[in-house]
Amino acid sequence: MKRFLFALFVLAVAVPAQAQDKLVISIWGGSWRDLVAETVARKFTAETGVPVEFVTGGTIDRLNKEKLAKGSPESDITFTTSHIGWLYANDGLFEQLDLGKIPNASNLADEARISPFHLGAWAYVYTIGYRADLIGDMKFESWNDLWKPELKGKLAAPDFDPSHVIAVAALLSGSDAAHWEKGQDKLKALKPNFKAFFTNDANSQQLLASGETPVQIVLSMNAYYMISQGVPITVAIPKEGAVLGIDTVAIMKGSKKVELAYKFINALYDPEIQAQIANLKKGSPAVLNAKLDPQIVKLPGVFSTAAQWKQQINIDAKLRAQKTAEWRKWFAENIMN
Amino acid sequence: MNSQPFLRTFTAPAVLCAFGFLAAMAAVLQFSLRAYIPGSLEPGGFTLANFADLLKPLYARVFLDTVWIAFLTAASTLVIGYPLAYALVRMQNAIVRSILLVIVVTPLFLGEVVRTYSWIIVLGNNGFINSMLRDLGVVQQPIQFMFTTFGVVVALVHVTMPVMVIMLAAGLSHIDRDYEKAAASLGAGPIRTFLTVTLPLSMPGVVAGVTTAFAWTFSAFATPQLIGGGRVNMVSNLVYQLGFASFNFPFAASLCVAGLALTIVVLSALRLAARPLENISPH
Repeated sequence: MKRFLFALFVLAVAVPAQAQDKLVISIWGGSWRDLVAETVARKFTAETGVPVEFVTGGTIDRLNKEKLAKGSPESDITFTTSHIGWLYANDGLFEQLDLGKIPNASNLADEARISPFHLGAWAYVYTIGYRADLIGDMKFESWNDLWKPELKGKLAAPDFDPSHVIAVAALLSGSDAAHWEKGQDKLKALKPNFKAFFTNDANSQQLLASGETPVQIVLSMNAYYMISQGVPITVAIPKEGAVLGIDTVAIMKGSKKVELAYKFINALYDPEIQAQIANLKKGSPAVLNAKLDPQIVKLPGVFSTAAQWKQQINIDAKLRAQKTAEWRKWFAENIMN
Repeated sequence: MNSQPFLRTFTAPAVLCAFGFLAAMAAVLQFSLRAYIPGSLEPGGFTLANFADLLKPLYARVFLDTVWIAFLTAASTLVIGYPLAYALVRMQNAIVRSILLVIVVTPLFLGEVVRTYSWIIVLGNNGFINSMLRDLGVVQQPIQFMFTTFGVVVALVHVTMPVMVIMLAAGLSHIDRDYEKAAASLGAGPIRTFLTVTLPLSMPGVVAGVTTAFAWTFSAFATPQLIGGGRVNMVSNLVYQLGFASFNFPFAASLCVAGLALTIVVLSALRLAARPLENISPH
């Protein structure tokens, strides 16, 4: 009997301890999970002895899951896109951050300070990627070049989020994303050039790799991945700037491991970790003190100085969270049909 | 005394599932009647605006396109699948029959996304068909198969084929061969026997196959999403775009409700039209 009670006591003590001794990270699957696992998670575990567990899924799937689990989150930390982060924050799913507990965050670029609840983890751009071998000597020095009649039926763009091209059309019409209506006519003029709209990264890669759509409004990291796989893609940064995209990190409200979560985020902003992330994904570090490989720095769409961050077209994440549905609906009704 | 003592026990899981489905449907219905609040996950007050929006030409056209694509797919699958099912049931050689069965059933194990990706390779501008046509000198410029209704239907026919063939084979295998022998002994040739005996007797299988293929295709998602490239949209694609890309869950829910209602209407009409055919029986 004594042995049984002792075993019960050991179990009662050991099981919760085991459950507590890990940090759960919610992130997209595939290369995104690997990116965090091989960089910041490795450093965090080495420093704290706490293992990291990943919960992976699509952007909206993870948002829905956390909404259902509100107050008792499935994960301690969530990585998501900046404007989706606002949906979490507006629903009270994120913890307000105490920047005093993240000393490395003092080096964050201004644009990466998204809200009191979520901060940029790394950045990329949506820009023009094209197959020079399929469209001859056409150059893309301005976003206006996308409107060239020679590109009729050659262009692809994301079907899940038209905010990039909407912001660009507004800008070229002398306005901005907040007053996007001024760019509607400009965007309608681009309609003949669209051939297809891609659903996800794999779909985008397939359309460019096969040459089905030789010009794309493409995620820079995707383009560099395809280049590494031997697809001859040229990444162009128009003179107006590329459209800035930021993936963010946040602590889930109700997490029992808030202190560990702060340590994880601080490790994320370690300049060496940020340089590793930039190197692996060919993206931009969120901090300005990361020492990047010269080969990475010279890539179009990778930026490391405050001035370079400011040259990009930055759609306010909160505005984007509010407007995405309206933009998507208008785009479907007027451009995709 | 209960003559079927295990009935309740056996039906309990199904009843529980039914309650689960009903609860989910009630949630979707409730969402469809709520207002969308930009930037928020929580819906607003009750409204009929979502259903009013469905009347816009874009959405009405997607519903019509969906019915048209489902019809074309069901009809094409029937025409191609019937000879295959006939051969599967009537073939004397067991080895050939086994090979046919493997050809018919194997695609079911591949999954819709894998099958669809293989069609992208076949139908693309630099895909198998266009490369072959160019090499043979039949065309100079590639024929546009991708992002067209034709391309979507071709891929959907492949996805739907196993279901159709299995249902047709089940229908054909139930036909008593003595009726065909009787027709032949009375002087009917093979074609006449087929047209006047076999085909009418296989109608229950045809109706079941067409109905299932139609319903199966009506809710297709991955194939129109990938082959259609945003140019050919079906109801499921629109639901995905609005709910999962735009977070407008109330409008996406109203599309689901309308899609479900349309499916019920179309399938009921189909069954009503096919009732005389279903009742064909030699007995």
